[in-house]
Amino acid sequence: MQPLWKIAAMVRVMALDLWRDRGALLMTFLLPPLVFLIFSSVFAGTTGDDIQLKLAVADMAHTPDSGRLAAALAASPEVRAERAPTAGEVRRRVKAGLADAGLVIRADPASAEKPFLIVADPARAVAAPLAQARVQQVLANALPDVTLRRTITQLEPALGGFTDEQIENADSAAALMRQTPTHDDGGFFEREAIKDARTGGGVIAYYAGAVMMLFALFSAMQGALGLMDEQSTGVADRLLAGTAGMGPVVSGKFLFLVGQGLVQALLIFATAQVVYGVAVVQHLALWLPTTLAASACAAGVALGLVSLCRTREQAQMLSTFVILVLAAIGGSMVPRFLMPPWLQAAGWLTPHAWTIEAYQAILWRDAGIGGVYKAWCVLTVVGLFGLVVAHTLARRLRR
Amino acid sequence: MTPPSVSSDPPVAAPVLTVSGAVHAYGGKPVLRGVDLVLHPGEIYALLGPNGAGKTTLIRAICGRIRPDEGVVLLKGLDPTRVAGARSGLGLVPQEIALYPNLTVVENVQTFAALADVPRAGLPAAVRRALELTRTADRAHVPIKHLSGGYKRRANIAAAIVHEPGLLILDEPTVGVDLDAREAVDAVIRGLRDLGVAVLMTTHDLDQAGALADRVGFLREGRLVLEGEPHALIAEAFGERMEVQVHLAHEVDAAGEGRLAAEGLERTSRSTVWTRLDADGYAAAAKLDKGLREAGLTPHEIRVREPSLANLFSLVADRKLAA
Repeated sequence: MQPLWKIAAMVRVMALDLWRDRGALLMTFLLPPLVFLIFSSVFAGTTGDDIQLKLAVADMAHTPDSGRLAAALAASPEVRAERAPTAGEVRRRVKAGLADAGLVIRADPASAEKPFLIVADPARAVAAPLAQARVQQVLANALPDVTLRRTITQLEPALGGFTDEQIENADSAAALMRQTPTHDDGGFFEREAIKDARTGGGVIAYYAGAVMMLFALFSAMQGALGLMDEQSTGVADRLLAGTAGMGPVVSGKFLFLVGQGLVQALLIFATAQVVYGVAVVQHLALWLPTTLAASACAAGVALGLVSLCRTREQAQMLSTFVILVLAAIGGSMVPRFLMPPWLQAAGWLTPHAWTIEAYQAILWRDAGIGGVYKAWCVLTVVGLFGLVVAHTLARRLRR
Repeated sequence: MTPPSVSSDPPVAAPVLTVSGAVHAYGGKPVLRGVDLVLHPGEIYALLGPNGAGKTTLIRAICGRIRPDEGVVLLKGLDPTRVAGARSGLGLVPQEIALYPNLTVVENVQTFAALADVPRAGLPAAVRRALELTRTADRAHVPIKHLSGGYKRRANIAAAIVHEPGLLILDEPTVGVDLDAREAVDAVIRGLRDLGVAVLMTTHDLDQAGALADRVGFLREGRLVLEGEPHALIAEAFGERMEVQVHLAHEVDAAGEGRLAAEGLERTSRSTVWTRLDADGYAAAAKLDKGLREAGLTPHEIRVREPSLANLFSLVADRKLAA
């Protein structure tokens, strides 16, 4: 098994090289779980329920109910409301980025007019509907009587007026609601979470996969750059003058990078399980082949791309470009479901999308092999293709 | 019945390397124009020549990296471009330190031993031998990046000889090292030669080539224009003449240059050092000193010495010596 012995020698070189460079070692294995924690915190926040919008509130109506609403918004944990003296000040704060959105209470909340004005920056498009939803939520929870009176006011013209008894009953109901709010938003919707929150959020599983692929590719590119060093330092010349050639070097690097990706994934998903309760151990049988396929894909793509370059500078530029573009399109930076449809479709051209989808299928949707085999095949084939390209180009080095 | 003839000469071993009529061109530009070179075991051959003379191309052809357009290159009778096994008896020491800097000397040599098909069972002994031959055993467990220049150069050689090649090619083996380190490298190369290894080295260090090589070859524009034993070549080219070197304290003006030229002196690569060959040697130096002082060109120093390979190289490179 002489070829395997040669490949093992190169795996040892890579391992010793990394082990002796303690800085690189720490960055290779500590950064991925750290970045995962940061990404998951950031994006679990922006895509979850716990977004605390900063809202500038100006009460221009100065009625008892408008005052109650402003006070309720200030007390609500759903928003960070700050009082502003005028509508102009609300606009100034939103424009300056001091507030995510603004609310101007133009008239009594129970009036039939449109009493509220939402001020938002188009650059933060999501802030306007979110602010609207939060205000409605606070209205329903803290001022249900106002909602009732507004409904009655709106119905009155259509029904041709109410009798005194009806008005008295409505006032009684409103007074009762004011004393003991039912916390019913009176809307059409009820919400059901599709999974027990204790098993970890889907966003967490998403970002575990996203960061895994991001770092697998990033580290693989760094490792593959060694091919350039071997050419510039004469190691390639030495090997090409002998019987080994560069084949064992390429294969050894591939195996090492797959192993490196596996360890990085292990650290990321262990963090996901310990910190967020993502059920990784429970899905180990499918997690392992998924991770191996993703690591093989990253290693193959990195080696193939680096082999296409003639200098280390070229390889560094190309790898940076490819890492950033694939990560952006593939969903390692921004969740894919927030992307326009064409970009979501383009994402399937990246290994990131396949990896993220496979991990989500396993860890979040409890999918079986049927749900992930396609991703395994795509990732493995792409990785092996990159490896073949690297081997082919390494043979051409002989000339 | 005639008794078999008995020769008193030792039997000549089969050549390790045979280059015959090698011709090669890159993009229509000829680089090798019919090179012949034969190397036997236990011989050090220094390949000399200016940049672009074809040395690198010839080395690449010997390593099986390119096949000459015409002619043949054989390693122990086998074509290295066709038969991978032909390269098993070849060790290359690149000009750069072709080792992994974070790995120790012994780890590097072990790696290249594995890649050179050294059997696993014999690997420790092969590594030990390579370290001893290159005198790097005392730094075996030091990472390459922490070694001095001389040790790095010798470790570079150790990685190339661990599989006991019959032919060792060294590309500028002492570039950038100090005198002590160069002597240590030279000693290693001589030691390998004494063990029967054929050594082919390219170098710009003509003093090293003159002191070390059994034969030198001058490559110029793809042709091996001069080849032979260094002292014999020098004697043949210069006869009894000595080199008289005039070192001036300062650069001279055009008139001074004219006066120096009139004395038969030629400027070297250093503008304050002028040289000429003279059969009278020391007597000529005394006359020259007197003449130059009278002309106001007081020499800082005048040296008289036997011509070296450097003089020969200048003649060949400047086409003043016919092939």
